[in-house]
Amino acid sequence: METPEKSDYLLLFRGTDWYRDLSPDEIQAKMTTWMAWFNGLVADGRCLGGQSLDAETRVVSGKARNVSDGPFTEAKETVAGYFMLRVSGVDEAVAIAKDCPGLPHGMTVEVRPLMARCHASELADSSPAAVA
Amino acid sequence: MSAPPPESPALAAAEVPRLTEHLFRHEAGRLVSMLTGIFGIDRLQLAEDVVQEAMVRALQTWPYDGVPRNPAAWLMQTAKHLALDVVRRERRFHEKEPAVIVAMEQRLADPGASAAPFFDDEIADDRLRLIFACCHPVLTPEAQTALALKTLCGFSPGEIATAFLATEAAIAKRLTRAKQTLQEQRVAFEIPSGAELATRLDGVRQVLYLLFNEGYKASGGDSLVRGELCREAIRLTALLAAHPVADEPATHALFALMLLNAARLPARTDDSGNLLRLAEQDRSTWDHRLIASGLHHLQLAATGDALSEYHLQAGIAACHCTAPDYASTDWPTILAHYDQWLRLTDSPVVALNRAVALAKVAGPEAGIRAVEAIRHRPPLDAYYLTFAVLGEFEAQRHCLPAATAHFQRARELAELPSEQNFLAKKLRGLAPS
Repeated sequence: METPEKSDYLLLFRGTDWYRDLSPDEIQAKMTTWMAWFNGLVADGRCLGGQSLDAETRVVSGKARNVSDGPFTEAKETVAGYFMLRVSGVDEAVAIAKDCPGLPHGMTVEVRPLMARCHASELADSSPAAVA
Repeated sequence: MSAPPPESPALAAAEVPRLTEHLFRHEAGRLVSMLTGIFGIDRLQLAEDVVQEAMVRALQTWPYDGVPRNPAAWLMQTAKHLALDVVRRERRFHEKEPAVIVAMEQRLADPGASAAPFFDDEIADDRLRLIFACCHPVLTPEAQTALALKTLCGFSPGEIATAFLATEAAIAKRLTRAKQTLQEQRVAFEIPSGAELATRLDGVRQVLYLLFNEGYKASGGDSLVRGELCREAIRLTALLAAHPVADEPATHALFALMLLNAARLPARTDDSGNLLRLAEQDRSTWDHRLIASGLHHLQLAATGDALSEYHLQAGIAACHCTAPDYASTDWPTILAHYDQWLRLTDSPVVALNRAVALAKVAGPEAGIRAVEAIRHRPPLDAYYLTFAVLGEFEAQRHCLPAATAHFQRARELAELPSEQNFLAKKLRGLAPS
């Protein structure tokens, strides 16, 4: 049973070229930090999950349902991945976002509250496994 | 393109796997060489980019899928596919050089190639080509060392800046300009041949020597980074020495001098970072594996009749390494090496070092006369060691006021705290009690 004051936030990570100016050793160290950060959030129940996104992109648009590759947006604007948070409010979500190890390397983190009630969240609440 | 780490809570315990130290750094040089062999030196940036991306992917997926049995092959395969993606996308946007791209796709997609990406010989050739490109004379020496560290050793601009006491922005600019120059001058990705080979090999050895010295010299910079520079210079020189094209006496001499000096690195400072002189060093902490390897390469260097400065420096280092204690150092041989070295170079600093050896053989007065003859030549006129050496000689012949004056002058000129502490200790030792 969730405590009623918890709400869900999506952290949207933008920027796919954060490692451009780093050496292999530095990349390795940075990834270790990422992993520890994520694992910590999951362990204390504040993060429900998350994933990186691959580069392979299709865009479906318009009445004609056109399918195109791309758009190949600027690397710093491309969504790189997301975390799902369940926290006390926007302040806590923002505080977590501020710990993002990619921030010094040009990444940005968008903090988006999930709408309180929609069909998907009801499904998720009744069956937590559906999220995992 | 990729991003932060994954994924589902069930796997939350996964961590970045423990890997061989510097696996990625060392693979990076190999991978960049191979990809440059495929895409050309003017696509060096592409090679570097996809290699980094492959590494990020490895770090994202290995914690979950396990480390592949052959991590190097996995990285190569991934980097190749990423490079192909980029090239295909370029073709889509620019429709340029379709024939070239088709040929590349064939070479990259060859199923035989995916099992064993390249033969070792081929890798060694590509690495040597990249070494020659990075050490190309169209680049300034500073650009050559920076580019070698970036592309061959997997250093970031930030790490290079720490090593060279420069700003990261300056290093980044230097690297960009170097790659531009290689492109504009249409530098070939090849192992030079004929008469050109000899001069170009000299150039390569010079860069590796600079790289090693940058790490070896005690002045400034982070000591960990400097140790890394020495190790990287040794790694690249090992590649050079193992390649039939570069397997020459001078290469082995350079390799020997690096090994014989690196062997004594850990003993050179005490626990608080103060410099220890040879006489004060604990010889049991010298790396005897490196010494043995250095002596082996010194032997390989002793063929033919070409005598290089590397030979003489390695010979001097060998004398120190093989002396069981300071008192039994073979100074006459060391002096003979310095004499020969001075016939090859006009360096006042070498002459100053020779004076130290001379004083060991012929007494402090001979040393003083030798220094007096050269002390007005820059950079010796304002070099702290000139005065430290003179102070030492005067102290040896018990002229304490003269010794004190020289050590004081040396302390004024010394820039590093470790040097200043050392001289302060000397001065305290001379003070009447």
